Amino acid sequence: MEPVITRKQLEADLTELKRMVLRLGKMAEESISKAIWALKNQDAELARMVLAKDDDIDDLAEALDNACMHFAARFQPLGEDLRAVTSIMHMAVDLERIGDYGGNIAKVAVELADKELIKPLIDIPRMLDVLSAMMSKALVAFDTNNAEMAKEVFAMDDLMDDLEKQIMRELLLLMMERPQRIEQATQLLNVARTLERGGDHVTNVAERVIYILTGKTVKASAFRRPRPATPYAHKEHEER
Amino acid sequence: MEKILVSSRGVNLFYDSARVLKDITFDIMEKQVTALIGPSGCGKSSFLRCINRMNDFIPSARVEGEILVGGSDIYAGGVDVIALRRNVGMVFQKPNPFPMSIYDNVAYGPRLHGIKQKDRLDDIVKQSLVGAALWDEVKDKLKTPGTGLSGGQQQRLCIARAIATEPEILLMDEPTSALDPMATARIEELVRELKKRYTVVIVTHNMQQAARISDRTAFFLMGDLVEYDATPKMFTSPEDKRTEDYITGRFG
Repeated sequence: MEPVITRKQLEADLTELKRMVLRLGKMAEESISKAIWALKNQDAELARMVLAKDDDIDDLAEALDNACMHFAARFQPLGEDLRAVTSIMHMAVDLERIGDYGGNIAKVAVELADKELIKPLIDIPRMLDVLSAMMSKALVAFDTNNAEMAKEVFAMDDLMDDLEKQIMRELLLLMMERPQRIEQATQLLNVARTLERGGDHVTNVAERVIYILTGKTVKASAFRRPRPATPYAHKEHEER
Repeated sequence: MEKILVSSRGVNLFYDSARVLKDITFDIMEKQVTALIGPSGCGKSSFLRCINRMNDFIPSARVEGEILVGGSDIYAGGVDVIALRRNVGMVFQKPNPFPMSIYDNVAYGPRLHGIKQKDRLDDIVKQSLVGAALWDEVKDKLKTPGTGLSGGQQQRLCIARAIATEPEILLMDEPTSALDPMATARIEELVRELKKRYTVVIVTHNMQQAARISDRTAFFLMGDLVEYDATPKMFTSPEDKRTEDYITGRFG
């Protein structure tokens, strides 16, 4: 008996999975950018909207996970189709996490909405810009099957690290000058750290895109500038 | 430790002037299951039949190159083809029990090779049926015709018949394509058992089956061996685009 793989049906279902990934990515990106916007503009209303949307993101991630299992059961995929469906399950986790980060930042935004900010926020929105650009690149690369574009995401993560370090230095100085600032400075440090972790998750997504398209497991670090051992080197392992 | 049992060296097979296998070179490992996959007419079954010189029965067939089994070229002059086929058993697509009792089906090969003592034959028949996971189902009706069994049981009878001569290698040509899913599952389970004692080479059209039961997979296309690698690698990230296209059902 010849195996009958209905390529047409399989492709239709796979396209639907991809569409769900893109939608999840868009929601996660919106969550985190609105949260930063709310933080910067001390807009508690907007921050609460972000928090209210968190369940929608979780629901979509769960639906995507289920859809992947149905796809695997229905088609018993092999090769690129198998790489796609397993990778999409991983990507769903990464994107959902980024959505959660939006929620975490929104909580900080609510807390700080009626307090005087210890400094105008400049580098944190800048980190967001880089993160958004990374997400957009990773998702377009996924949508258009472009492994080269996915690789471009890796080097952008260097910029995220630079910005985080810059923010850290600045906030440390502010704290040293006036210990009363420690509480808020710590919250802002956490926001920067959260964005930096978001970058790591986007990097995972880009790695997965390359795996789907080429069958090769790539390490983002191979595309990034070499890094000396720093007190923060453990961070990389944490996220693996 | 992996050990090469069958080694194909530059094998070409011609039917008259048509070249149906082109320069096939690869090694089959001892006590592993090797799956041969590819679309109809790709040469996988023809290659399987080269391993026990079944193609000798086709007058227009001509083999070039060498196939070493345990280090000796089976196409060299002076090879005892009967002894070769005892050492390289075969199971076909459709179960084909001989029109005789279950017992006689299994005892056929050993008798042909000169074993006559009743108790020795009894022992071989039992061990072979146990080895083919059929004993419990037929032990009380060994004298009934083999053709009275179900399709799946008949195929296991054919496996028992093939292992009764104590071969090193078992060739299986789409052994489950005529069976229902349950009977197929039993054969697949059996293949996993068989590889503890035998080297199994199986042709299958069912890629999930190849993925489930084989250690290595060879992909044939239009007479070429396109890719040969560990099965998990072949079905997740093959190197060749043609393999990828075939396993994802883009053609074939």
